[in-house]
Amino acid sequence: MPLRTREEFIQSIADLDLQIYMFGEKIDDYVDHPVIRPSLNCIAMTYELAQQPEYQDIMLATSHLTGNKINRFTHIHQSTEDLIKKVKMLRLLGQKTGSCFQRCVGMDALNALWSVTYECDEAKGTDYHERFTRYVQYLQENDLVADGAMTDPKGDRSLPPHQQPDPDVYVHVVERRDDGIVVRGAKAHQTGACNSHEVVVMPTIAMREGDEDFAVSFACPANADGIYYIYGRQSCDTRKLEGNDLDIGNANYGGQEALMVFDDVFIPWEHVFLCGEVEFASPLVERFAGYHRSSYGGCKVGVGDVLIGAASVAAEMNGVAKASHIKDKVVEMTHLNETMFACGIACSAEGVRMPAGNYQIDLLLANITKQNVTRFPYEIARLAEDIAGGLMVTMPSAQDLADEKIGPIVEKYLTGQCDTPTIDRMRILRLVENLTLGTAAVGYRTESMHGAGSPQAQRIMIARQSNLDHKKELAKALAGVGTPWQKEKLKTPAASADA
Amino acid sequence: MKPPASLSVVYCGGCNPQIDRGAVAAELAGDKASGAAPAGGATAGDGDAGGAAEASATVYLSGCARACASGHRLTSDEPGEVVVAGELVDGRTTPAHDIAATIRQKLKE
Repeated sequence: MPLRTREEFIQSIADLDLQIYMFGEKIDDYVDHPVIRPSLNCIAMTYELAQQPEYQDIMLATSHLTGNKINRFTHIHQSTEDLIKKVKMLRLLGQKTGSCFQRCVGMDALNALWSVTYECDEAKGTDYHERFTRYVQYLQENDLVADGAMTDPKGDRSLPPHQQPDPDVYVHVVERRDDGIVVRGAKAHQTGACNSHEVVVMPTIAMREGDEDFAVSFACPANADGIYYIYGRQSCDTRKLEGNDLDIGNANYGGQEALMVFDDVFIPWEHVFLCGEVEFASPLVERFAGYHRSSYGGCKVGVGDVLIGAASVAAEMNGVAKASHIKDKVVEMTHLNETMFACGIACSAEGVRMPAGNYQIDLLLANITKQNVTRFPYEIARLAEDIAGGLMVTMPSAQDLADEKIGPIVEKYLTGQCDTPTIDRMRILRLVENLTLGTAAVGYRTESMHGAGSPQAQRIMIARQSNLDHKKELAKALAGVGTPWQKEKLKTPAASADA
Repeated sequence: MKPPASLSVVYCGGCNPQIDRGAVAAELAGDKASGAAPAGGATAGDGDAGGAAEASATVYLSGCARACASGHRLTSDEPGEVVVAGELVDGRTTPAHDIAATIRQKLKE
C-alpha cells in the first residue's frame, strides 16, 4: 500500500469505531468532535508533510525490511543519520502544529522493542523478534499509527505489581490459552491513543520474580474487543465547543491524552512480544524512555519556535519590539530552545548500532536532553508571558468582540500598534495563552515535566551513566592525590621570586 | 578452533573510559596461552588500522558504550572481530575484569 494521504488517514480512524467516552458520554462521531478533531489534525500532519517533496528528506525513510519508502514514524533507525533526521522531523512537526502531534510514542516503542525482542530471543530461545519483525512490516506497509502504551496507573508505588491489592493497576495476563493470552488493566496518559490504528503495550517498570504476569508486551488493534478510552480533560478545552476560533488560540491543532482500559482483551501469540521474561522489562523501559527522551529534543523545540515567534509578534504589536530587554529575552528564549535541540542532536549523533542491527540513541545524553526539557520550556513560557503582557489572560471574550454594543469598545481599548488590527493582537495573545496555560500547555509544560518519565527518573539514569569514577581519577591525577609530598622543596613566594 | 595468529587492537579516543583499555590490551598481549598477542595499536579513524589488514583478528576497544572505535557499532558483521564498548563485549554486559577473557574465548570460537 502506498503512503496514505491526510484524508485517507482521517477516514481510516473514523472507520475503527473506537469506544471513546468524554464528559460521561460515549462519543460516536469522534473524528469530527470539536474537542478531538484538532488532535487528529496533528497526526494528519505527519501524513500531509510526507506527501510534500520539500519535506520528504526527513519525513520519509527507506525500510530495511522491504526497501520501500515509508513514513519515518514507522521506521527502525538504521544509522545515526536516521536518529538525527528523526529529531529534525519532530521539530518540523512541532513548528507546523504548535502542539503535541502524538505519533512519536509508537515510533519509539517500535525501536525499543526491536532490540529487546532480539536480545530476549538470544538469551531465552524465544521467537519474539521474528513475530515483531512481521508486525513492523505490517505497520510500514499499511502506513499505520501505533500508540506506544507504557504507563500503568501503578496504584501503591511502594508495592511491586504482584503485591498490589488490585492487580489491575498494572496491565497483566489473566489467562494463557493455546492461541494467545487475555490481558486486563489500563494504561494512563495515553498520548494520541484515540487517533491510532494500533496499540503497542510495554511494561512500565523494571520487574522481578513474582511479576511474570505483568512482564508483558503485545500489540493489538485500537478497536480490539474490550478496549475503551476515557478522554482526558485539558485546560480551556471547552472553548473548542464555543463555535469560534478566536479564544482557542490554536484552533486547528492540539494534543490528546486518554485513559486506555483493557477489559479482558484477547491477544493472539503472533502479537505477543514479551510474556513473563521479567529481566527484559527493565531494558525495554530504559530503551523506550531513552528514545522518547531524545524525541523531546525535537518536538518541544518546534513548539518552542512557535512560542518564541508568538512572543516576538506580540512585542511588535505592543510596540515594544525594539526595547533592549525584550530583544534580550527573545535571545534567551532562543538560547534555551536551541540548547534542547543541541542535546537531541548530540544523543542521536552519538548513537550506536545495537546487536539487533538498529541504532539506539546515547542513553546518557538522551536523559540529559529530557532533564533540560523538564526546565527550559517553563522558562521559555515565563519569558513569553513576560513579553506578551497580562492582557493574554484578562482580555474580553470573542463574544464580547462580536457584540454590537460592546465590540467597538473592546476594539477601541485593546488596540496596540497603530497598524495592527485588534483582532490580530487578540489572536496572537490567545496563542501565547494556549501554549503557556491553555490546551497546548498540557504538551508544552506538564508533558515536558512528566512525559517520558519525571525528572527524577532521568536523574537516576544520569547518576548510573555519568562515569563518576573517571571524573574522580581525572581530578586526583591533576591534584596529585596519592603522590608523595616533597615538602623539603618548599619555598616562600618571596624567596622564589628572589631566586 | 586454532586461535588467530595475530591480533590488532583499534582504540577509541579515550575521552570517557569506563574501563581501563590499556589494561585489557596488556592482558591480551601477555596472554601467551591464546597465542593472540596484539600486533599493533591504532586509533579509530586512522587510515590504516595499525596492522588490522594483516591481522587475522581485530579487537575494537572503546572505553564507553558510544563505541567510537568500531564506528558506533556494538557488534561486528565480520568474522574475527570483537567489539568492546565499555562493559559491553559484542553488545553483552561483561564485567571489566572478565573482558580480556571473554575476548579470548570469542577469538577461539
